Amino acid sequence: MRYPRRGIAVVAATAIARRFPNVTAYVRTMALFVAFWWALARWTANPALLPSPFAVVEAIIELVADGEIFMHAGISLGRMLLSLGLASLLAIPLGLAMGLRRTLDELVDPVVELLRPISGIAWIPLALFMFGIGNVLPVFIMTYAAFFPILLGTIAGVRSVDRRLIDVARTMGVARRTIVARVVVPAALPALLVAVRLGVASSWTAVVAAELIGAPSGVGYAVEWYRELLMTPQVMAFIATIGVLGYLTDRTLRALAQRFTPWATQLEGVR
Amino acid sequence: MSAWAARAARSVVLPLTLLVVWEAWGVASGNRRTPTPSRVIGAAIDLVTSGDMIEAIATSLARVFAGFASAALIAIPLGLAMGAFRSIERNVDPLVESFRPIAAIAILPLAILWLGTGTPAAVLIVAYAAFFPIVIHTIAGAKLVNPTLLRAAATMGLGRWKTVRTVIVPSALPSIGVGLRIGMGVAWTAIIAAELAVGAKAGGGGSGGIGQMMFVFYAYSIELNRIVACMIAVGIVALALDRALRLALRYAMPWNAQ
Repeated sequence: MRYPRRGIAVVAATAIARRFPNVTAYVRTMALFVAFWWALARWTANPALLPSPFAVVEAIIELVADGEIFMHAGISLGRMLLSLGLASLLAIPLGLAMGLRRTLDELVDPVVELLRPISGIAWIPLALFMFGIGNVLPVFIMTYAAFFPILLGTIAGVRSVDRRLIDVARTMGVARRTIVARVVVPAALPALLVAVRLGVASSWTAVVAAELIGAPSGVGYAVEWYRELLMTPQVMAFIATIGVLGYLTDRTLRALAQRFTPWATQLEGVR
Repeated sequence: MSAWAARAARSVVLPLTLLVVWEAWGVASGNRRTPTPSRVIGAAIDLVTSGDMIEAIATSLARVFAGFASAALIAIPLGLAMGAFRSIERNVDPLVESFRPIAAIAILPLAILWLGTGTPAAVLIVAYAAFFPIVIHTIAGAKLVNPTLLRAAATMGLGRWKTVRTVIVPSALPSIGVGLRIGMGVAWTAIIAAELAVGAKAGGGGSGGIGQMMFVFYAYSIELNRIVACMIAVGIVALALDRALRLALRYAMPWNAQ
């Protein structure tokens, strides 16, 4: 034994720190943040207003243990998948058609531009009346919120396809349908997947609002439910869940995009 | 000229058809409360002439500006510092990235708990929502600086702060402008959500704003025509805010004519 135990730990820690500088920066910053939060919680001394970070961790463990967190997260994610599917089914074919046919674009675009500034969230009161409180309302709001980014992204993707590729295919006598399926869609796919990601981001914001106001379940509902009970640790636990789910869905979509469109160059824009 | 006319005709035909179908459907349904375009226009005129709509929009806009301004005041300097200095970015970025995925509306219950159901909670939500797009775009803009310019500045012996002020800030401005525009759009959505939720969850305690007005029309006096009129107003304000900010940015940065 050349090193005493603590020495080994220190050596290992510095090795890790050198290997992953971002990880150490992350741990350091978050540790400082938690310490500051803890001090603030001690100082305010009102657990209903600002519980200590440990109370929140405890609440998370409890909610995980009795499965409540998974239930609400599952419901919200299910709604998101459903509305993402609906929005894609509506927006992608329409976007392909609008991108390919200028006349159709001129016909439909004014309606899109009239509706687009009205955010999904502004539909909530009317949707509450039309659908009542339940599953349909959040799905409707999310589908609406995801529709426009996907549609606009698809149109832009189709427009950005290299004209020469289409011309070459046409010169070789390829049928129009085949051109769309074999040339336009693959070339537009990277832009389309970015559009889907934007759609998911905007519908995830909308679902929290929709569930907060008009759904009997889901993470947004859970946050509001525990606020009314003044159980602040649980409120914070579900807020953290919303963040984690948002982050994970974004990462998953990025990974899928990388896997299915390895030919995509950096289309990411900002990060 | 005739091509232009044909295009103009094509662009109005679908909206007009939809309006006519909507009107016919509303009249055919026989219910006098069903919204139709003509009734919505009537409701909108009522709301505007009685001054309710103007007052509600003014309340919401004041909150948006307060929240947006405080977000920009924090986000732009922070973003510049993070973009210009690697060490600051490494240490602050975890915080930004940890909170960014949390939707602003999710913070609302906490904001109500801490600040009540009035203006401060709404302003906090707006500031939180607008903060992230602005800071992210500012960082990206500060990093986009042409390295040759930085080297030139270093060669000429400029200090760090002077480099930030005279080299990094001007070249980051266009990106900051994009961040401000996105932030403004997000801020307007957030205020509607916040006011709706406050209306829904705080029993309509009169904190005002157009979001809450909509909710009151839903919950206390079922007036769908007025709700639709409010939705249209929300859309118009969103468009107007974006256009105004675009104009202001073009005026402020004429070299970035895009």
